[in-house]
Amino acid sequence: MSATSPDIPEARPSRLQALFTFLLRAVLPVYQRRWVLLPALTGVMMMAMLVGAVLAAPREVVEGDVQRLMYLHVPSATIGTYFSFLITAVASAIFLMSRDIRWDAVARAAATVGVLFTIFTLATGAIWGKPIWGVYWSWDARLTSTLVLLLIYTAYLLARSVAGPNDEQAARYTAIFALVGFLDIPLIHFSVDWWRTLHPQRIIFNTRPAVPNEMLFVLLVAFLAITFLMLWLIALRSDSEQLAQRTDRMRMYLDQRGNN
Amino acid sequence: MNPMLTLIRKDLQLTWRDRSNWLSALSFACISLLIYSFAFDLVATDLKPLLPGVLWTTFLFVGVFASSQSFQREWDSDVLDALMLAPISPTAIYLGKALTNVISLLAIELVLLLLSTMLFDTAFLTAELILVVVIGTIGYISLTTLLSTLGTRARARSMLFPVLALPLLIPLLIAGVRASSAAMDEPIGSAPWILLLTVFAIWSTASGLLLFPLAVKR
Repeated sequence: MSATSPDIPEARPSRLQALFTFLLRAVLPVYQRRWVLLPALTGVMMMAMLVGAVLAAPREVVEGDVQRLMYLHVPSATIGTYFSFLITAVASAIFLMSRDIRWDAVARAAATVGVLFTIFTLATGAIWGKPIWGVYWSWDARLTSTLVLLLIYTAYLLARSVAGPNDEQAARYTAIFALVGFLDIPLIHFSVDWWRTLHPQRIIFNTRPAVPNEMLFVLLVAFLAITFLMLWLIALRSDSEQLAQRTDRMRMYLDQRGNN
Repeated sequence: MNPMLTLIRKDLQLTWRDRSNWLSALSFACISLLIYSFAFDLVATDLKPLLPGVLWTTFLFVGVFASSQSFQREWDSDVLDALMLAPISPTAIYLGKALTNVISLLAIELVLLLLSTMLFDTAFLTAELILVVVIGTIGYISLTTLLSTLGTRARARSMLFPVLALPLLIPLLIAGVRASSAAMDEPIGSAPWILLLTVFAIWSTASGLLLFPLAVKR
């Protein structure tokens, strides 16, 4: 009983395959331990961020304590919102190409988390805006485009949720919608930017009295904390969506067996 | 004969014979124009700055209303699968449907422009404004035609379609209103609105052409 047939030569991995295997070996242990790593990293970084934002960072001279919201607001607006929606778009594209319904779960999870962060961004912005601008809301370019993003991805989640977890037709349709919506972002940005602008410009690179290093450090910690929080939430959500898909498949299978 | 032209001819013929559909779209458009006149009392004050907005919201609502039904006839008679099996590329099916929609919507919009010229005593049928309207119509129809493939769940579709389509069309609405204001010699700043409108039209047509085959694939 020979282990290998003499007719088939042993496969020699190409250089690309070797690189892929190497990368997989490096990433897989991290991925498999995500339920330990992500909560731990998120917890530590969130603690550090809170301590940094409330205690360590200096009080802003003009705006006062309300400025401390920036440490939550800026990372939520950039990483939490745009990066989640980028993940939605990428997962949707992979789903459209591979037709593997699990990628639909990832896309939905990222969109849910992105919508959550968008609402959080708008809320913190409103709380900050009342004392600083005097109004909770203004039709400024960035506020408006964030609001439009919220509308697009809420519509995405609505359209996806009217169909079952394994409805491939609906999943394909909403994946296309997610791609179109993501590609719409630059157009929205330009149109509302020309429409009107009032938002404070980015402070990190272009203010003359430079931002103190303590503030920048806390902001960096906050960026990391929000990134881990986002990844953890997406991982949790996409796993639960995939469990819902499996339950749905099992139920369909049992129904079929019951009918026969 | 080119299969795309055949499809367009077939669709236009069917649209013309079944008048209930486009007649109701046309009456909806006229009524919403009149509703605006009643709501804002468009004769009393200086109405010129308001008119582009009135026109474009009417265009968008009629367009979304009309093009959400794009594939209704195909679904009702289960023709879409047969159409996909026919040796026609899905791109041609999409282009045929989009062009049919553009032609019928442009006809409705022309009537609206004529009507508002009479109602508001302002010159709407200028070359520049018509150019803006044509580019804008191509822009939003190519997107709504792509989105109208939502499937057979008719109840969910009629509720969801505007919710899905309108946020994506906000850049087009802003650009269309501003470009129309510019065409009507209103002071609106110096942003290149026609360029944005054209970019939107190219973008939506391109995404329609690329993504429609994926949307109808079985």
